[in-house]
Amino acid sequence: MRRTKLLAAGAAIGLAVTVAGCSSTQHVGSGSGGSNASGNTVPALSANLKTGGTVTIANESGATWNCQFNPLTTNQQEAAGFIYESLLYINPLQDTSTPTPLLATSYAWNSSDTQLTFDVRSGVKWSDGTAFSAQDVAYTFNLLKANSSLDTFALWSAPSSGGAGLTSVSASGDKVTMDFSANASVFFYDVANMVPIVPEHIWKSVGNPTNYTDTKPVGTGPFTVGSCTANNIKYTANPTYWMPNEPHVQTVNYPAYLSNDPANNDLASGKANWGGQYIPNINSFYLAKSSNFHIWSPPVSNVSLIPNMQQGPTANLNVRQAIAYALDRAQIAAIGEQGEETAANQTGVVTPTFSAYLNSSALAASGYSSQNLTKATAALKDAGYSTSHPLSLTIKTVTGYTDWDADLQVVKQELAGIGINVTVLDEADNTFTSDLQNGNFQAIMYGPPGGPTPYYELHLMLDSTNSQAIGSAAQGDYGRYKNAAVDQLFGDYASATSQSAQEDAIKQIETYMINDVPLIPVVQAVDWFQYSTADLQGWPSASNPYAQPAPWNYPDLEMVLLHLYSTSAQ
Amino acid sequence: MRFVVRRLSMFLFTLWAAMTLNFFIPRLMPGNPLQALEARTRGKVSPTALESILSSFGYKPNAGLVPQYFTYLKDMATGQWGQSIGLSLGEPVRQIVLQAVPWTLGLIGLTTIIAFLLGNVVGIVAGWRRGGALDSWLPSTLVITANLPYYWVGMLLILLFSTSLNWLPADFNYDPSLVPGLSPGFVGSVVQHAVLPSFTLLVTSVGGWILTMRNNMITTVAEDYVRMARAKGLADRKIMFGYAARNAMLPNISGFAMSLGFVLSGSVLVEYVYNYPGLGYQLLNAVDNNDYPLMQVLFMLYTIAVLVSLLAADFFMVWLDPRAREKG
Repeated sequence: MRRTKLLAAGAAIGLAVTVAGCSSTQHVGSGSGGSNASGNTVPALSANLKTGGTVTIANESGATWNCQFNPLTTNQQEAAGFIYESLLYINPLQDTSTPTPLLATSYAWNSSDTQLTFDVRSGVKWSDGTAFSAQDVAYTFNLLKANSSLDTFALWSAPSSGGAGLTSVSASGDKVTMDFSANASVFFYDVANMVPIVPEHIWKSVGNPTNYTDTKPVGTGPFTVGSCTANNIKYTANPTYWMPNEPHVQTVNYPAYLSNDPANNDLASGKANWGGQYIPNINSFYLAKSSNFHIWSPPVSNVSLIPNMQQGPTANLNVRQAIAYALDRAQIAAIGEQGEETAANQTGVVTPTFSAYLNSSALAASGYSSQNLTKATAALKDAGYSTSHPLSLTIKTVTGYTDWDADLQVVKQELAGIGINVTVLDEADNTFTSDLQNGNFQAIMYGPPGGPTPYYELHLMLDSTNSQAIGSAAQGDYGRYKNAAVDQLFGDYASATSQSAQEDAIKQIETYMINDVPLIPVVQAVDWFQYSTADLQGWPSASNPYAQPAPWNYPDLEMVLLHLYSTSAQ
Repeated sequence: MRFVVRRLSMFLFTLWAAMTLNFFIPRLMPGNPLQALEARTRGKVSPTALESILSSFGYKPNAGLVPQYFTYLKDMATGQWGQSIGLSLGEPVRQIVLQAVPWTLGLIGLTTIIAFLLGNVVGIVAGWRRGGALDSWLPSTLVITANLPYYWVGMLLILLFSTSLNWLPADFNYDPSLVPGLSPGFVGSVVQHAVLPSFTLLVTSVGGWILTMRNNMITTVAEDYVRMARAKGLADRKIMFGYAARNAMLPNISGFAMSLGFVLSGSVLVEYVYNYPGLGYQLLNAVDNNDYPLMQVLFMLYTIAVLVSLLAADFFMVWLDPRAREKG
């Protein structure tokens, strides 16, 4: 019951208000969505700002645009957040328990986290003028049920096969009720944040929704498609957007960059003002070009060495310990990543983003908090190797990730010091993915996706229910780690009904990360983010991390676009 | 006539053999479209959903290779090219190809023609005035420029003319903020955006034409009929173009026909360096993502373009040179 929440007006979007300060937690009756106290009030906004200004995104898309905007299958990147909106926005960089209300004004779980009720906002119009309603929400979720290819988060799959176990979604008045066959709280992020709501009155007659091209999208979001060519999508402000006085920025250009270099060049010349990829030598290439150029790249997940737990030298715990002790992660981050990414730690919890979950006492006691060559040499000796009888180890990585190559050169030098001869094998994307999933490696460098809490990354990488025998493609636990106690702790997290219980479960999992070394986190992957304040203000920053800042993060990009305003227009 | 039939049947046989290889080789590559899609969605999306998305666009992972092969032959012949299952997921392959072809033909095709014409004229002059001012430094310089990797030349030009001097744009085929049309601004933008990539190709390809033309000229100039023309007291210019160059150009013409055949496959690296959305770039994307439908259509088009040019060059040579006709 204590997780029943009512989202207050002014909860998050405001430029002036802080999220936590203005939200209120109310306790309401079991299963009820709460009173409609916040009603249709919208998040507090910067009402005095004038409209104007253009955002130009420089982010490698790899291909020219196909000018399709189906948000449910393949065009999320171009459609979600710009045109289509989700029920709530959940910010992984801040306290995820206070989401920003979007198409829903509040939500409530029942006491066992098996029934979820949303209050849907009234007064919202689709961009063609039709009124939006709770029916559209129920329609969208039932569309995912009817078309398994659209159910990209496995919401309707049974919990036994890794799904959320959704059994029904129905609308009544302005409420939407979702029933699950088991505690589904870990899927809340996907349900509320990741599913873009589509208009029933259009989608019911589009034929097969998977193949629907949606070239003239109708959404509730802050932008509509002004024009689209293979080279550029031009979004223009939606005049009927439901949030008053939003968006301030009137135009967004999204050119199709086929590779990083031209995108980086346009950022450095000021042609583009919002970037989201690695820039080598960023100080001289970008930051030195103008005092208006800034970067802020918050860490969101780990880049780890995955040891093969089933076969080869890394199946030996001593070898894994030796590697984990021998790495000077700060040096790898400083040299390999040129300081643009930070050092990871052996618990697998990304800091400072998820510091609340960090088991710092266990980390300190483990001896893994800094490089320890004495312990590394001793552990390797127990495994039967030394500098005079070195171990040969092959580490696989992806061709083209030049920063990982640089990281591995440092790893190679550091491990050579204790008696491990590393061979780095660069593989093409296709080969790499196939080897990763099939367990065809001694050790492999990989950066899994993160999530709103450390659970998502650790669960993907360690829960043996994701695993397969070596030679069959696994969808997680690529190192083939098998520990029933750890699997049980993930179950405890998923069925926990309080955040402190969730933190406890993660902290216990961290002790297994330390004792079993099933993963060796090396550096922390970041959301690459470069921005120019030449005309635009309101960007997310370390002091106001209101959204994940990279332009390829949907639906986060909507929050950024709503915060931005042009200084010359004021 | 026997010659024509023989050449045509050889053409058809080569086409079939190449198309068979085009079908099987991509499918022997490591990885598959599903894994590529999983990598692109950063592992966030359920693999079952991804697989059914791919199937809805015509990907059949479980159908046998042999039935797929016959469907493929039929589809290629009837123009049923299907939909992309790679980066441009769901986009009809025909549309991708039609969008990219004009840019590749325009950029690479025009540059190839310019390089051929320029190279021949310079080669003729250099070979005619053997040991002259032009001839003394040109060959040694050209040996170097003709062997420069063109992506490297491209990067140097970007560094100089875009990053440092800021004179010319270094990416895209036109300013992305413009709406395509026949407006002077748009045409100007297209030309402006073509300058650097075109110059990159020219710098690296013109050398080959000049060198072969110069060498052919030197051999031809020593021929008896040229001496005869001189003895007749003809004007230098007339001998140079009408007697020497006309014969010296023959070998270059078949080389030119071949290079026209390769125009379609584009210049993958130049298009990549300059963010130029042509066919070469599409090929790179298709291979990176195991996009079988797009890959097999592109390979088929390249094969046809090269084979047709070779065939045309064969017929052209026979028409030009009676000796080839007799041998044939």
